[in-house]
Amino acid sequence: MEEIGKNESIRVSIDVDGTVIAEGDIDLAGGPLLDTAILRLEGAVPVVIDLAAVEFIDSSGLRSLLAASRRAQGRGTSVVLRNAPSGVLRLLSITGTTEQFELQGAAQ
Amino acid sequence: MTTISDDAGVKSTLDAGPVTLVIPPLAAMVRVGRLTASSIASLGDMSVDDIDDIKIAVSEMITLLIQSGGRSAVTLRFEAENNSFVAEASTPASSLDLGRNDLALATAVLDAVADSHEIAFAQDRIMIRVVKTTATRTADAEPSPAADV
Repeated sequence: MEEIGKNESIRVSIDVDGTVIAEGDIDLAGGPLLDTAILRLEGAVPVVIDLAAVEFIDSSGLRSLLAASRRAQGRGTSVVLRNAPSGVLRLLSITGTTEQFELQGAAQ
Repeated sequence: MTTISDDAGVKSTLDAGPVTLVIPPLAAMVRVGRLTASSIASLGDMSVDDIDDIKIAVSEMITLLIQSGGRSAVTLRFEAENNSFVAEASTPASSLDLGRNDLALATAVLDAVADSHEIAFAQDRIMIRVVKTTATRTADAEPSPAADV
């Protein structure tokens, strides 16, 4: 696993299989680190982001995910959100953006 | 006034606010603000879901002010009552563009997690006020048209 970076909000790494692992809070401080990891992986295949260890997300963090989704759609691929916790799912629902992502293994 | 229980479970009344916090306009401070708010909200009768909503609301408030303000300090004021939590935030600014896309996403979130919210520009300050009362999580079934943001 390669650590991309960490700060007071978030720790972001890339697993050996190319999955982005986000741990902590995706907010104004955490979003840019997540952007860095996603941009390193963007290509012809879907970007997979494991959110199992995400404890908080707000609209500034969601904008990072939406921007990645928009870029992926432009390449004819998608962003996969894996193990999204209930807080992430709720924010997607509130903002009507659930359909922008492929969800795998999300919390019920 | 907020009723709390001591270690022995004895309930008493506490004047829990208001609490005022002044933070620099830094991304790292968003977390400081929302954790302070959740700590104060937990003194009242708020449920875990209510406190989660307050954390989101306060995060949106501070983020909006950092991104829209004039790079000056953000003043936060929190007050917990038994069944409500009021958060007020402001920062100096030269203007406020309410049509910005990122603002639309933030206000959509505030609509969902708070009972009421107001965003205003007056006297060269952007001011935001959010009120959250207990057990009012109702907006999940009404997604906003924010997907274009």
